[in-house]
Amino acid sequence: MSAGEMLLSALTSLRANLLRSSLTMLGIFIGVASIIAIVAIGKGGQTAIVSTIESQRVQNTIQIIPSELVAPGLPQPGQILQFSQSDFDLARTFPGVQNVYYTLYGTATIQTPTKSLSISVDGGPSYLNEIGHFAVVSGRMYTQADVIAHRRVVLINQSLAQKLFGAQNPIGQVVSIGGVPLQVIGVTQSTQVNFLSAVYGSDTAYMPATTCADLFPNWGITEMDIQTYPGVNKAQLSKRIVLALNIHDHQAGAFEDSSGFLLGIEKTVGTVTRILTLVIGAIAGIALLVGGIGVMNIMLVSVTERTQEIGIRMSLGATRKAILLQFLVESVMITLIGGGCGIGLGVLVAAIVHWLSGLPAAVSWWAVAGSFVFSGVIGVLCGLYPANKAARLNPIDALRYE
Amino acid sequence: MIELQHVSKRYRVGPEELEVLRGIDLTIRAGEFVSIMGPSGSGKSTLMHILGCLDTPTTGTYTLRGRAVQMLSSTELAQLRNQQIGFVFQNFQLLPRMSALRNVELPLVYAGVQSRLRRERAEALLAQMGLQDRIHHLPNELSGGQKQRVAIARALANEPAILLADEPTGALDSVTGQDIMQLFRSLNDTGVTVVVITHDANVASVADRIVFLQDGQVTDDSQQSGGSQR
Ligand SMILES: Nc1ncnc2c1ncn2[C@@H]1O[C@H](COP(=O)(O)OP(=O)(O)OP(=O)(O)O)[C@@H](O)[C@H]1O
Ligand SMILES: [Mg+2]
Repeated sequence: MSAGEMLLSALTSLRANLLRSSLTMLGIFIGVASIIAIVAIGKGGQTAIVSTIESQRVQNTIQIIPSELVAPGLPQPGQILQFSQSDFDLARTFPGVQNVYYTLYGTATIQTPTKSLSISVDGGPSYLNEIGHFAVVSGRMYTQADVIAHRRVVLINQSLAQKLFGAQNPIGQVVSIGGVPLQVIGVTQSTQVNFLSAVYGSDTAYMPATTCADLFPNWGITEMDIQTYPGVNKAQLSKRIVLALNIHDHQAGAFEDSSGFLLGIEKTVGTVTRILTLVIGAIAGIALLVGGIGVMNIMLVSVTERTQEIGIRMSLGATRKAILLQFLVESVMITLIGGGCGIGLGVLVAAIVHWLSGLPAAVSWWAVAGSFVFSGVIGVLCGLYPANKAARLNPIDALRYE
Repeated sequence: MIELQHVSKRYRVGPEELEVLRGIDLTIRAGEFVSIMGPSGSGKSTLMHILGCLDTPTTGTYTLRGRAVQMLSSTELAQLRNQQIGFVFQNFQLLPRMSALRNVELPLVYAGVQSRLRRERAEALLAQMGLQDRIHHLPNELSGGQKQRVAIARALANEPAILLADEPTGALDSVTGQDIMQLFRSLNDTGVTVVVITHDANVASVADRIVFLQDGQVTDDSQQSGGSQR
């Protein structure tokens, strides 16, 4: 009996019991669909978080931070938690360093005569827009001169401008932040495209770092950003500056390069999503197992129902192998069709999640190939016992079965 | 060709042992046309199943074309049933979900015949049985006599050396029954060994030899004078 012949005959007998075959496929279908979707969404979540972290890194910039706290909120006695002005002066002396700046951030209240809102405040250098993922859509960015002169100027993002001034032109208006009046000189728009921007893309005001330090003297400088000239070996330079800062502040391990910290976060995120994916995947695997048991059950019923057919086939010259293959092909066909449709649904779910949330939930080819092969394996494993039972029947007993 | 020696068949039914065939000795030579007669329950079908390698004797030996059937593997038996033996069952045993054509094709499928040839052969056989306009009918869309003829066409598909037919005329009127017997007669003339079970003496008389079975034993085995139709 040729392979095509067997496929056709299996398809015919599955069609003869269409509803039953479809219901049996359902278990495998749901199992495979959930595995495909879960793996895709898990992978997408991880990619999104990692790329968000990556996007915080600025080209040609070394970021140095005080060493991580032993536990959140629990510094060691005497641990240095912020930079002093002399640290900055020291960093500026290194060859290859183009510029050293700091950024400050925190939350504050912004007020106009009629409104009062809680917002994020970012203070930074005059090129904060290049590193802070925003663009100036109207008005202007503050200049180096504004920074040096501690000028009381501020840029606000579009939605904040909308909330404060409505249809009025915000440029030139005066707002009060932390009780100090500042003049609005520009309106910004976020250029962040990753999905987390929706989460922390709250209303923000941007101002010169010096102004910000004046307004909020207790915010402490917790970041040192070092712009290097192109072509400078960042890793080497960073090591030397960190060493010099530690010596300067008389504390070994006081500061570190933030890329280590970011890598640590990335690793943790990777581990967490992998564990989550594994756990949920295992649950989906159980669904698949239950589906497999369903297939076995139906195949056993089918063998019993078709005992007489088996007898007739044997009387016409079907070998045991032919009978075994006939039922095995049917069971594999059930799981493969179920698995194939499951892959389709999984891909669809991943696409819908991607479309709704922007999560880069991409289905990997190995998940598709893996679950297809796995469906086939389940078909073989669950079909083997019923098929063997059919093949071992005695021709005359099978023929006489009623 | 067919040689049975002291063949008996026993079944256990509850605590009792039922002996359906008791020490049958029977030799059928190649090219013979034999009728088996006997009352209902005498073991005719049981004997036929043994002859057709569907069942095995409890004791005794069955030799088919010089080979001891008990010694053959299940694959060899399957090949034997496929190539050497054509079986027409008492209750037709057509596959209910397959068309007449597919039913007739089935032995050819297991023989590995290529699909176009298979179809041609099956169509020719059904046409020979006068069923050319019923080939796509399912068994439940056929009359008893038509089913019987499909079953015969199927038995002949692989040009067997032996044709075993269990009550092939049972469902037919006497005229059609005679037609079937004439068909068997002409098959026999081409060299096919034919064994037919029947309870109809008229039908049996077409054969060259009539074997009587009673209570699982051969009670009479008589050569006809050349068969009535010769
Ligand atoms: N599997 C079985 N288990 C028990 N008894 C059986 C079995 N098969 C057949 N028999 C018995 O064997 C006897 C002979 O049966 P068989 O079918 O050979 O009769 P038969 O001569 O073909 O009768 P009929 O002319 O009615 O078809 C019957 O009494 C039947 O009850
Ligand atoms: Mg009978």
